[in-house]
Amino acid sequence: MTARLLLLLLLIGLAARDARALESAIVSSPRAQASLVTEADAFIPGQPLRVGLRLRMAPGWYTYWQNPGDAGAAPELDFSLPAGATAGPIAWPTPARHATGPVMSYGYDGEVLLPVTITTTRELADRLVVQVHASWLVCEKICVPEDGDFTLTLPAGTPTPYAEAKLFAAADAATPRPAPWPAAVSPEGVLSLRIPGLDAAQVREAWFAPLAWGQVVHSAPQVMDAAADGISLALQPGPEFRHAAGLAGVVIITDHAGQTSALSLTASPGPTITPAAILPLWQLIAFAVAAGLILNLMPCVFPVLAMKAMALAQLSGTARRTALGHAGAYAAGVVATFLALAGTLVALRAAGSVVGWGFQFQSPVFVAAMAWLLFAVGLNMSGLYGIRAGAVSGIGGNAAQRGGLSGSFLTGLLAVLVATPCTAPFMGAAIAGAMAAPLLVTLLGFLAMGIGFALPYVALATIPAFARLMPRPGAWMEVLRQVLAFPMYAAAVWMLWVVSLQSGPTGVLYTAGGMVLIGFALWALGVAQSGLAQTGTGRRLAVAASVAASAAAIALLSTLATTPPATAAAPGAAPATGDASQSFTPARLSELRAEGRPVFVNLTAAWCVTCIVNEQVVLAQPAVQQAFAARGVTYLKGDWTRRDPAITDYLRALGRDGVPLYVLYPPRGGTPVVLPQILTEQRVLDELTRAGL
Amino acid sequence: MTIRRRSLLAVPAALPALLAIPLLRPGAAQATSMAVPAIAAPAPAFTGTNSNGAQVSLAQFAGKPVVLEWTNDGCPYVRKWYNSGAMQDLQRQAAAMGAVWLSIISSPPGEQGHVDGSGANALSQSRNAAPAHVLLDPEGRIGRIYGATVTPHMFIIDAKGTLVYAGGADSIPSTRQDDIARATPYVRDALTALAAGAPIANPVTRPYGCVVKYRNQV
Repeated sequence: MTARLLLLLLLIGLAARDARALESAIVSSPRAQASLVTEADAFIPGQPLRVGLRLRMAPGWYTYWQNPGDAGAAPELDFSLPAGATAGPIAWPTPARHATGPVMSYGYDGEVLLPVTITTTRELADRLVVQVHASWLVCEKICVPEDGDFTLTLPAGTPTPYAEAKLFAAADAATPRPAPWPAAVSPEGVLSLRIPGLDAAQVREAWFAPLAWGQVVHSAPQVMDAAADGISLALQPGPEFRHAAGLAGVVIITDHAGQTSALSLTASPGPTITPAAILPLWQLIAFAVAAGLILNLMPCVFPVLAMKAMALAQLSGTARRTALGHAGAYAAGVVATFLALAGTLVALRAAGSVVGWGFQFQSPVFVAAMAWLLFAVGLNMSGLYGIRAGAVSGIGGNAAQRGGLSGSFLTGLLAVLVATPCTAPFMGAAIAGAMAAPLLVTLLGFLAMGIGFALPYVALATIPAFARLMPRPGAWMEVLRQVLAFPMYAAAVWMLWVVSLQSGPTGVLYTAGGMVLIGFALWALGVAQSGLAQTGTGRRLAVAASVAASAAAIALLSTLATTPPATAAAPGAAPATGDASQSFTPARLSELRAEGRPVFVNLTAAWCVTCIVNEQVVLAQPAVQQAFAARGVTYLKGDWTRRDPAITDYLRALGRDGVPLYVLYPPRGGTPVVLPQILTEQRVLDELTRAGL
Repeated sequence: MTIRRRSLLAVPAALPALLAIPLLRPGAAQATSMAVPAIAAPAPAFTGTNSNGAQVSLAQFAGKPVVLEWTNDGCPYVRKWYNSGAMQDLQRQAAAMGAVWLSIISSPPGEQGHVDGSGANALSQSRNAAPAHVLLDPEGRIGRIYGATVTPHMFIIDAKGTLVYAGGADSIPSTRQDDIARATPYVRDALTALAAGAPIANPVTRPYGCVVKYRNQV
């Protein structure tokens, strides 16, 4: 019904436009739709006007920039204009990079407008007929040349604003601005751009695209070095590079808030500069270790902190060698898990999958398994069964010692798994960058991060001065252990809630049913371990029952994998906070933006504790909700609990790899502001005021 | 309750500044870089399999000029050259001066332009083409050695094994056949100069065409 209404309105709109000759007839193929549009519905003789080729490409198809890169061809416009009118060059919007294997291209996907300014003279009569023959190449895996003839007739008169003008405004916003500072290029191809007062830490990424082919090797890595007074990019000179001729092109700089600015420049020949190396490895590793250390303070890690506290308590009074063994096993668990996650992420990315950090929480099977694991650990702490004799590790052998060590390893594994959704907001930018680095460097970075994460515990266990601070072992340990079971149960309930959002009531049924089976399996194990099963047969029966229940639980997991997702109608991660949010889609956002309305975008996921805390503590507060309502701000909430490609694309466009993300779009197309990932009421209200609301 | 949650937030609130330190700084989204062979330097050696299943190596043609042509019969730029007969003319010009013409297909299975040996021979026959060999390079090994980015991408190696030309088939990057007559015929000129022992006027030009459909590798 709504769709039909929209279609009707669209048709009316098209008819109205045709009547005013503002957008030409569309030349359409399954790959692209092309039309000629004008900025205004009339022209004033003697004054310039703008027209543009509008290309709307089907998903996966793209067309090229003025320098197409290693392959492809730039669109061409061949104007036929009456005497008194002259067409200028295309004002090319900033391109995106497109790597196909070893071939680098520059171009556009989605929608692009190629604006051209037409100058007119006063003797031009009462109307202007713009005719253009356009040819463009669209590529996906294959390339198809397309062309079309377009005609628009504009009357002389006073232009009035109309809908297509916003296309030109968007193209202007996407066009590189001339760099207001000087740039130089060294004979070795190091491009330096002075940016006085630059905060080097704010620059996340920069890359250069030359205006002409052959100036630089397009596919070569461009190593960036940001300093207080500018940035430099080490480019690999191409076959047409002539130092004396300088270098013309566009530099695209992305800051840590994910905002991109494009500057066009012509670099003059400069002195020799030794190309900057990648950040020295020791620095990189130092940063990564620091980042890992800080992760220990993240709220998601709190359930696991319970386990760590327990482990520390157990260590008090043990021999130093045992303590060292446990510390080593814990660190190994942490590091191995970091590397496994990083490896999986790299592999998934290489396979072309669009995933972000914390991706594993997007699978209901993983979340259910985590719920069971936390529940099982809780039951262990409550004393239902013991982790001994390889019961968990599945390795036989003697020994409390060995069982304890694998327990420490598993604690490390669990700590990282639970901590990852929390790491996303803080590490998003860094991880997105790390993913782009060479594989070995990426893995080294994650290795160092893991070491940092494990460091405090290892220090506590190995430095005698710390160990002396621990209280002596005693009955208090047993009480502490049992108390700490409850954070584990709470975390399991949280996971269950996430499953409810992902797979609905059926998912909850399977997950909770699995918890009963796990409970039974562990109880039977406990019976086998304790004196309750007095005979060998009894013990064997108990173990068999335990194995059978575990197998049944695993069978449930595979059923859960095929459970359909919760219906889209469910508001997803939106907790019942009574906030007046609408569901986020890129289309809805651009619609609201086109209307000039202010928008607050909140991207969240049920497994992201920081997101939920921000919502409860800040966004759902009456003061904020009232401010939104009073100032006419539309609150759009996007749920990334299940990997929603539209949201992933939006995150990526802003240079993010995970949630939360808060963006305030000021009214009337003002520059969007990305808010910090830890929100405060005051900050949100301040930003609203700053946006002129 | 609210107060407690806030204090819980206070600790991490101080941290983003620290974590904003770029963990790793090298540029993002790079294509895996390829070696670009240098003009006037020895051409990189390679061995490949031709359309009849025989091994062909660059070394076996020592003493003769060699022309490398990257091709993909589905590419509109390649079609411009074959439908007009201009590529076949170049092949016969090369053969007449004693040069060895190698057409190389780097499309992997499932991608545009991929053919097996008999498919390649059938193409040569239907197009009346005259390459000395068609090399099948579905792994993109030879393509990556030469930094071939497009079809058609052209390379000329002189009788001493020196790379003397790398670039486009001519100067107008279009798919229109009429442009061939208007363009500067880089490859034809280079072959003519080579036959006459004269220097090549434009040894490096912009290659144009469709992306070589390399199998994506990390």
